Amino acid sequence: MSKRYRQWVKEYQDQAWTVARYILKDAQEAEDATQEAFVKLWNNRDSIDPERVRPWLMKVTRNGCLDRLRRRKDNVEFDENQVAAQAHGPMQGAAANEVGVWLKRAIGSLKEPYRSLVVLRDVNQHSYEEVAGMLELNLAQVKTYLHRARKQLREQLAEVRP
Amino acid sequence: MKIYDEQWEDRINALLDGELSVSDADLLKVEASDDRDLARAIVEAYQLQQAMETIHVERAPASLSKRLRAIPREHRTRPAFSVFQPRWAMALAAIPLVLISVSLMQPDRPSEADITQARQEVAIAFAYLDKAGVITGREIESTVGHTMANAVTGSVERAIKSQNLYSKEKEA
Repeated sequence: MSKRYRQWVKEYQDQAWTVARYILKDAQEAEDATQEAFVKLWNNRDSIDPERVRPWLMKVTRNGCLDRLRRRKDNVEFDENQVAAQAHGPMQGAAANEVGVWLKRAIGSLKEPYRSLVVLRDVNQHSYEEVAGMLELNLAQVKTYLHRARKQLREQLAEVRP
Repeated sequence: MKIYDEQWEDRINALLDGELSVSDADLLKVEASDDRDLARAIVEAYQLQQAMETIHVERAPASLSKRLRAIPREHRTRPAFSVFQPRWAMALAAIPLVLISVSLMQPDRPSEADITQARQEVAIAFAYLDKAGVITGREIESTVGHTMANAVTGSVERAIKSQNLYSKEKEA
């Protein structure tokens, strides 16, 4: 079982981290939230369908992050300077790509559940069905909300593009 | 654009996801050629899709990977009860040993048949003693006289009578 768990860490840690990073916009807190999700995965390893581990983990990670947001005293939805200052590895690497940096910030500025939808579907590349399961929405809701989120991003992108 | 907003969004996204049929895609292009807003929305959607391709899943920092790998070691759960655990197996194995020891320590109890047979043997013995007492009395009487004989046989007869009485009381 420990071997299987190590495999799950290897396969899903980046995706869980990405979700936590976009929602919380704080590297340290994102680490804590991701660790909490994996502790839950370890504790429930015998009861989870092995085929459903990825959506289960993403859902638990996201819910944990939203709980943390609610607990924050001043729930600042988006702080561009904070995100830029706390950028990690690839985020810094993407600095050369202005559009990429801008887009990450724009995604971070979206309200829930739009932000999670864009991260899960467009960044993590989960299927619509998986995203629906993670967010406990039906397929039609997922598509409608995602289209609205993309439209917001599209309009923002149009404003910054020459 | 405003009136058909949601419908157009669905079709634009379907187009980008490759879910729109060829005929529906052609129809959308025809509509876009007559509607500048729709045409601009499609172009912007493509631009957004291209921009999305520049961002990827982020690699978890090494510090997080280390923390995640340490979870099984730090959150070791206590194994559930099992009869196959050594201490339980030992306890279960000890039960028959205790039962055997207790049974060995118990004194033997005679059966009903044993008691009946013993009573018969006692009755025969008393009858024999009764006869022996009479014979002995006659021999003494012929040797030392009646008074002395009574002194010897009388004590034997009393003892036998008292034993018989005790046996009858116990049986009752």
